[in-house]
Amino acid sequence: MRFLALLGIPLAAPALAAEPQRIQVTGEAIDTWCYFSGVMGGADAVVGTAHHTCALWCAAGGIPVGLLAEDGTVYMVLRIGADDHANGGDTLLTVASHTLTADGILHVRDGINYLLVDEVVEDAGVTRLSHLDYDFVPPFAAPQKVE
Amino acid sequence: MRMMLMICAALLATPATAQQFAEGSEAAEWGLLGEEKARFEADVVDLLCRVAGDCPADCGAGRRQLGLLRVADGVLVLPLKNGQPLFSGAATDLAPYCGQRVTVDGLLIGDPDQTPVKYYMVQAVRPAGSDGWAKTERFTEVWAERNPDRADKSGEWYRHDPRVEGQIAAQGYLGRGTAEEAEYLKGLVGE
Repeated sequence: MRFLALLGIPLAAPALAAEPQRIQVTGEAIDTWCYFSGVMGGADAVVGTAHHTCALWCAAGGIPVGLLAEDGTVYMVLRIGADDHANGGDTLLTVASHTLTADGILHVRDGINYLLVDEVVEDAGVTRLSHLDYDFVPPFAAPQKVE
Repeated sequence: MRMMLMICAALLATPATAQQFAEGSEAAEWGLLGEEKARFEADVVDLLCRVAGDCPADCGAGRRQLGLLRVADGVLVLPLKNGQPLFSGAATDLAPYCGQRVTVDGLLIGDPDQTPVKYYMVQAVRPAGSDGWAKTERFTEVWAERNPDRADKSGEWYRHDPRVEGQIAAQGYLGRGTAEEAEYLKGLVGE
């Protein structure tokens, strides 16, 4: 490291950024905290119908929403169309757990995929029937009584 | 000389390891995937501005997701969670520090078999160089200000959030419509 200082090169590196590119990706709008932290269980349990109520809570609470593609790649959504309200905004709340096909610009920064969605090409609704395997995740997301 | 420059480039491009940030951390353990305590200095940045050059004043006035541009290695860290128990992100807690250099304490998380990077849970924040830590508990305070007619109800915020209630009323607890889930719910929670 000493010779870097001698060369006058700062030790703090600039962040790694790739050129932005237009992509179209299909994936589920997930709650990224539960997905990556494991706080509510394994990855298969925190997607789809079983986790839908929790995904609503997390989207309303400002947990970043990601698109989980079939290959396991997660794209962090920073805006949808002109709506940049990614911290608990209505648009992301209404698509929680939905399988979306999104067209937009991908920015990769320090290994994280950030997606600026220009258009939701298709909204297939909630397609993953995970409640058949897991019921509600977490269990306290189940309604207390049937209305 | 060429080899030296290549070595320099490799060193500069390598993010610091999580272990380097554990020193001094007083973060509470949560038992999360790949959890590692981490305290570091960072600049609070608007992610849309940082990655795409879309830069309104005040980081979007609380609307946008915010990042932590770590001083030690220039890595843009994505905070997913504040320090409160359930369902609250970090952006509302970081918004007052938009554009400022801060010290944060919390947990880097993420299973290396699932994700190539670590995400962050911010448990406490302070302006860089100050002694006054603030726990990241601002979300529920802001929620109560926005929902004054719900704030006095007993129980957790998320059980009284009007927008969540609206979504459940429209799409059901499973998100596929109240008619489709009716029989399932009867079997699960009874009449």
